[in-house]
Amino acid sequence: MSEYPSKIKTRKYFITAILLFIVQMLLGLIMSVDVLARDSSTNLPLTFDILKALHLNLMVLWLLLGFIGGLYYLLPAEAGRDIKHPRLIDIQFWSLLLIGIGIIISEIFFTGRNWWLVEGREYLEAGRFWDILLTAGLLSVVYNVIATIFESRNKLSSPILVLAAGAIGSILMYVPGEIWFDSIVAAEYFRWWVVHYWVEASFELIAAGVIALILLAMTQVRREIIEKYLAIEVALILLTGIIGQGHHYYWIGTPGIWIFLGGLFSALEPVPLFLMVWSAYKDLKENKKPIPNKVVLYMIIGATLGNFVGAGLWGFIHTLPQINFFTHGTQITSSHAHFATPGTYLLLVIGIAYLAIPEISGRLDFSHYRGKIGFWLLVIGFLNMIIALMIAGVIQVYQQRIEGLSFMSVQNTLFPYFEWRLIGGLIAFAGGLLIAYDLILISTIKVKTERNNINKEI
Amino acid sequence: MNNNRLILIGLLIPAILMIPFSIISFYTDFANRNPDPLSVTVDFDQNAYNAVEGKKAFEQYQCMDCHTIVGNGAYFAPDLTTVYKRIGENDAALSNFILSGASAKGMQPMRDRGMTEDDAYRITAFLKYANMLDTNGWPGAGSWERDGNPDSTSAKKLDFFDIWQVVSGIVFINVLIFAIILAYENKKNDREA
Repeated sequence: MSEYPSKIKTRKYFITAILLFIVQMLLGLIMSVDVLARDSSTNLPLTFDILKALHLNLMVLWLLLGFIGGLYYLLPAEAGRDIKHPRLIDIQFWSLLLIGIGIIISEIFFTGRNWWLVEGREYLEAGRFWDILLTAGLLSVVYNVIATIFESRNKLSSPILVLAAGAIGSILMYVPGEIWFDSIVAAEYFRWWVVHYWVEASFELIAAGVIALILLAMTQVRREIIEKYLAIEVALILLTGIIGQGHHYYWIGTPGIWIFLGGLFSALEPVPLFLMVWSAYKDLKENKKPIPNKVVLYMIIGATLGNFVGAGLWGFIHTLPQINFFTHGTQITSSHAHFATPGTYLLLVIGIAYLAIPEISGRLDFSHYRGKIGFWLLVIGFLNMIIALMIAGVIQVYQQRIEGLSFMSVQNTLFPYFEWRLIGGLIAFAGGLLIAYDLILISTIKVKTERNNINKEI
Repeated sequence: MNNNRLILIGLLIPAILMIPFSIISFYTDFANRNPDPLSVTVDFDQNAYNAVEGKKAFEQYQCMDCHTIVGNGAYFAPDLTTVYKRIGENDAALSNFILSGASAKGMQPMRDRGMTEDDAYRITAFLKYANMLDTNGWPGAGSWERDGNPDSTSAKKLDFFDIWQVVSGIVFINVLIFAIILAYENKKNDREA
């Protein structure tokens, strides 16, 4: 650790990311009560739309924090030198946090009042003003990463190239969403460039790269094997994902050509995700070296499986146009989103945090007990939520889209499932709290007291 | 093949293909498929309000984070793509509904959120335009109020006893999840031992 002093600066990224995740879950819980008590929800100081906007934007914020922190943490070892401008790491953190607070305040006080502060399009609720600041901040991250890579002593390795490409891609793809179009069709067309090319291209590249780097760091599988698999995965992710965008263009007013293109390419999207599971499985099976940090292992296995099942299979079941015609805009999409995002990116960010924080704090002997329980609580909670939303979605499709019942009467039928979802949310919330508590404990409490704790547990 | 070259090919082929597809999408949007939002207007008090102003107001009041438009958005409230048709193409009724809301169903009166009448008229124009889009037939025949009135069903009150209907499902799913957890943990312990 002493080799790369800037690593210690990344700790606050992970702690803040996990705390923001807790707030996001809390907002989600309030919203799931809102759905059950619509008449009283209008009396809340924060109405559903503001809660939902914050639920999404906080997620984007902690994902960025987690990924930037992870990038700064993993880069030095791979590049063979410290980050070029260590001071920027601090400045970027505080300015990102400031932008986040600005977004939250403008959501609460300026929704409907100022278009520059709140834009109000799903996922891009942050107003134009914040968008520009955020883009500038992210560009400085890219500059720092590229400057470090250029002065690295080692040859450019593919995981680093993939990570850098993912980081640059996620910033480039933020720009199209900022262009103003008179037509809702064009506006939606480019809004999906941000959303889809983030979660199904750029972030997916970051995920693949991070998983490869963690496997490289933890196992003794040959570098060439991991890199070869990574290259094939990434090439397939891009090949299917870029035109797989078409599954968002079926019904937004774009021509019918997308029904063919989107259906074809998005049906292939699970293939690279399966390859990720398979290569990780193979690597871990071949590996003879004992892996001391079990919690990271849990999170990485969870992330690859969550990515394949949640993003791949759960996406596939409603991606074909013949099916999507009925399922578009129902709770099935919500089920998919609550599987794919936490299943992949949440577990990945927690995984990096569990890799980084013990090392930074010099506490490699930390107890794995709470991390594992927290992981399983997250799994139980989210699976309950996902299954409940899935059944609710199927009922909604049947009643609303086939039988033609009105929206409100269908929502009334779905009540028991929304209650089930709330229970799942509460369990997942407990898991999130436990993990946040554990990470904060590892990063703060003195070594001596923790040793006592371990002795007690034994 | 060289790894980096493989990745580059994976990136470039679809990225280049996206260019003609995007051009086709925009050409059809502007040329012959969908109406020009500037030309879609509604009249209130001898003033014309167009759909472009309406789109900005629609975004500003964050309509999309409760409702959906062309199926995208939140699923808390009904889809708005064809709401203009559902309400009987009645401009006054629609703008009035937006302003006075439906508190029992979870929609705040937008007047309370600071929405002006002008903005409500603009949003009406935008929803008129949304109804004219060619969305490849979506959202199908289902979920219409064909009588031209808003949804007459009232929202259910919170009642946690409803959950008895799904208890067997909850038990079944959770037994399954716990079986997976136990199987994983036991197998892992065997391997380590």
